[in-house]
Amino acid sequence: MAKMRKRMVALSAVAAMTAAVLAACGGGSDNPPSGGSTGDGEASAKGGTLQYLQHFPFESTDPQRIYYGVELANFRRTLYRSLVAFPFDNDPDVANTPVPDLATDTGTSTEGGKVWSFTLKDGIKWEDGSDITCEDFKYGASRAFADDVLTGGAGFYIKGYLDIPADPKGGSMYKGPYRGDGQELFDKAVTCDGKTITYNFNKPWPDFPLSVASLMATDPYKESIDKGDRSKWVVMSNGPYKVDGGTWDVNKGATFVRNENYDPATDSPDLLRQANPDQINYELYTAPEPILDRLVADAGDDKNAVTAARIPPAYFSQIEGPVADRTATVESPYTNYLVPNQKTLTDPKVRQALAIATNVDGYIKAEGGEKAGVPAESIINPGLPGYTEQEMFSGSNEGDPDAAKALLEEAGVDLPYPIKYTYGQSETQDKTAAILKEGWEKAGFQVTLDPLADTYYDVINQPDKDSDVVWAGWGADWPSAMTVLPPLFDSRQNFATDANGNVTNLGQDYGYYQSDEFESLVDQAATAPDIDTQNDLLTQADTVLANDVAYIPLDTSTFYWLYGSGITNFMTDAASSSYPDLGPIGVTQ
Amino acid sequence: MRRAIIGIILLLALSLLTFVLFFSSGVDVTRFACGKNCTPEKRATTEKALGYDKPTVVQWTDFLQGVVVGRDYPDDPELQRESPEIVTHCPAPCFGFSQVNAKTVNSLIAEAAPVSISLAMVAVFLWVLFGVLFGLIAAVRKGTWIDRGIVGATLVVYAFPTFFIGIFLLKYVAIKWQLLPFPQYVTIADGGVGEWFVNLLLPATTLALFYLAGYVRITRAFVLESLSEDYIRTATAKGLAPRKVLFKHALRAALTPLVTMIGLDLASLLGGAIITETVFSYHGLGALALRANVSYDLPVLIGLLLLAGAFVILANIVVDVLYAYIDPRVRLD
Repeated sequence: MAKMRKRMVALSAVAAMTAAVLAACGGGSDNPPSGGSTGDGEASAKGGTLQYLQHFPFESTDPQRIYYGVELANFRRTLYRSLVAFPFDNDPDVANTPVPDLATDTGTSTEGGKVWSFTLKDGIKWEDGSDITCEDFKYGASRAFADDVLTGGAGFYIKGYLDIPADPKGGSMYKGPYRGDGQELFDKAVTCDGKTITYNFNKPWPDFPLSVASLMATDPYKESIDKGDRSKWVVMSNGPYKVDGGTWDVNKGATFVRNENYDPATDSPDLLRQANPDQINYELYTAPEPILDRLVADAGDDKNAVTAARIPPAYFSQIEGPVADRTATVESPYTNYLVPNQKTLTDPKVRQALAIATNVDGYIKAEGGEKAGVPAESIINPGLPGYTEQEMFSGSNEGDPDAAKALLEEAGVDLPYPIKYTYGQSETQDKTAAILKEGWEKAGFQVTLDPLADTYYDVINQPDKDSDVVWAGWGADWPSAMTVLPPLFDSRQNFATDANGNVTNLGQDYGYYQSDEFESLVDQAATAPDIDTQNDLLTQADTVLANDVAYIPLDTSTFYWLYGSGITNFMTDAASSSYPDLGPIGVTQ
Repeated sequence: MRRAIIGIILLLALSLLTFVLFFSSGVDVTRFACGKNCTPEKRATTEKALGYDKPTVVQWTDFLQGVVVGRDYPDDPELQRESPEIVTHCPAPCFGFSQVNAKTVNSLIAEAAPVSISLAMVAVFLWVLFGVLFGLIAAVRKGTWIDRGIVGATLVVYAFPTFFIGIFLLKYVAIKWQLLPFPQYVTIADGGVGEWFVNLLLPATTLALFYLAGYVRITRAFVLESLSEDYIRTATAKGLAPRKVLFKHALRAALTPLVTMIGLDLASLLGGAIITETVFSYHGLGALALRANVSYDLPVLIGLLLLAGAFVILANIVVDVLYAYIDPRVRLD
């Protein structure tokens, strides 16, 4: 899961829809004064070259195929604009509220959130000088249905919501623009009237603008450049920069230069894109160490460098003196948690005992301390609307073995109670597993550790596995618990069954959890008329999960960043998923 | 000819074995392309897009067909007919299409091979030059502190793992002391021979240091053995200059094992130096193999395995030919 870093923003309000205002706060709220920002979003000097050093390859630069949080955030600021976008700001309430980008406003919804309309601004252009049209947006959305050609991405959301009948043979009756079957159905679901695009959904989607700002599945795409899978690394920009040469190199990155057809008058530079550096050199490495060594040394061009590589514990000792002045610590949108197996730990008291005995403080210490994570009290990230500190998990973070033991005795089980803990093996995870084991065994469990490598996720999603508790991590796709609770605990969208109705795969519901009460609340939330109602229902659903001990929250990951001494306006905010935000950033020359 | 046929059969067996192992690993290989929120429906669509829904043997025969006559991607006649603009033609010998990279395996190898070849050539140059030189010095100065120092030092370096030497050179020589630029592969066309060589120096040195010890010891041992032969004594007695005796007669005896080692070491390096390329972020065949392994990119894995296998088979043939040149007593069948 760690590899699948997803875009998640802490919370939001969508002003234009149903007068609903989200009210929670986000990951960046706990930034230390020296951390989150070196400025407050004020304009840096224009010019210079920013070095962006990255230690992993992207999955694609085709907007409809991008799903990595850091890529979504960076490209939104530089290459790909959309109808609405999240502004950069240290205040998460602001950073999670979409503002108009290519559209004139944040959208208008009718029919209780089932129909959404946006009108495009005048003068918006692609890097080749051609106008961005309503048809480009429509074509972009149609590509979500071509998942037999364009793998990856987050198009399944729009595909599931658009009002197009399902194919009895599987999938949608619309087969995407390359096959063309069912095109008339798509043309009814997404319509263009001049500069106004209208999306017709099969159910209310009150937080649609949040998904538009967070993901890129509904971004415009120019049909004339579309060559299917061959366009995977092609970039046709509509933002302040363009890729020199037009193609991203999956191994080397690219050089971003000014896009002469970008008109800042159609944008909101002070909110979304100051576009200060004249050039951005994206360099890819195969490991984080050389990047961090260069940033610590802070020599030459590296003074103007930022990175997507977090400082690992092995480098903590080097972060002192002037180097420490170039760091930022920020809570991330990602939550780590444990999943008890409901089929093997059938007694609720046993699951409760497991939760109470969990030594979260020790787990975090083994991860690297406060620079690696802070205790979580819910599967919902504190930055998300719908978050509430669940009473079930609000006790001591050190674990309470005595109370846990009492619960086990109350349950009447034989002690020591044997359990098997399965986790994805790594040096750090081995340490955290040892700490968890120690705490659980003090409470009367007898723990067998089961570290797995590549097969980890293939084992834990099996219904007949013998693991009693497994590790997992998650980040929401946009600031809504709808992108957290149902994907992880709704059996209907997770379980695969054979012809006889037997469950053959658990999907991401690793604990084999099924609750009519929970799923009823999810259904009510999905069709809620406004976001406030939706969030209230999701909070209730989370409480059901907590009371059933469907999960045990561990921690919210902390991001610990290092950047060059020449960087100005360094900022990590909710809009950038706590990665360095390229919107306000600048360099000294 | 017989060897070439055996080589082709070996490569066929290697490809089939890779297909079988790939799909029997216990890992759901589709999951990597399917990503997060991989619902059963999305997984099925992704599996079909990757072609992994077909039986393994069918996939293997499709692969072989591509090698012989070429293939078109996506491998779906309806899509090819409806949207010819999205079709990638991969001419024979086609080693497949990587969905991860959205390129044919042939083009990926063509992009990465110059990096690995450059790295291997410079590394071989360094370790042969210094390996033979130090081996000779050690042989000539046998038993002295110079001999013991050379043999001991090369063994100590050999004892360090490649990643340690690479990280040390990168961290101190390039980053901290800035004695050399941070290495980034530059083609001769872009930067000239000088820049190409300077950028290769640290990764090539990393590799060369690893191989050096073996060459020092082999050279030393064979030269020492030769120096005690009668023909050397005769040559010396005839009044031949010591340098001529050493280089023309004594060293020649060490050439046969050295050529064997160079051939096989070079062949394995041409298949990619995974650790060194990873440490220095050089995007050669080794780094390509590592990425393919991590992302379960079957077409790339197959292509690289066949390439590495072909290098080894070819190197053996070349070494045999060179034997005949170095030692006239050896003749090919």
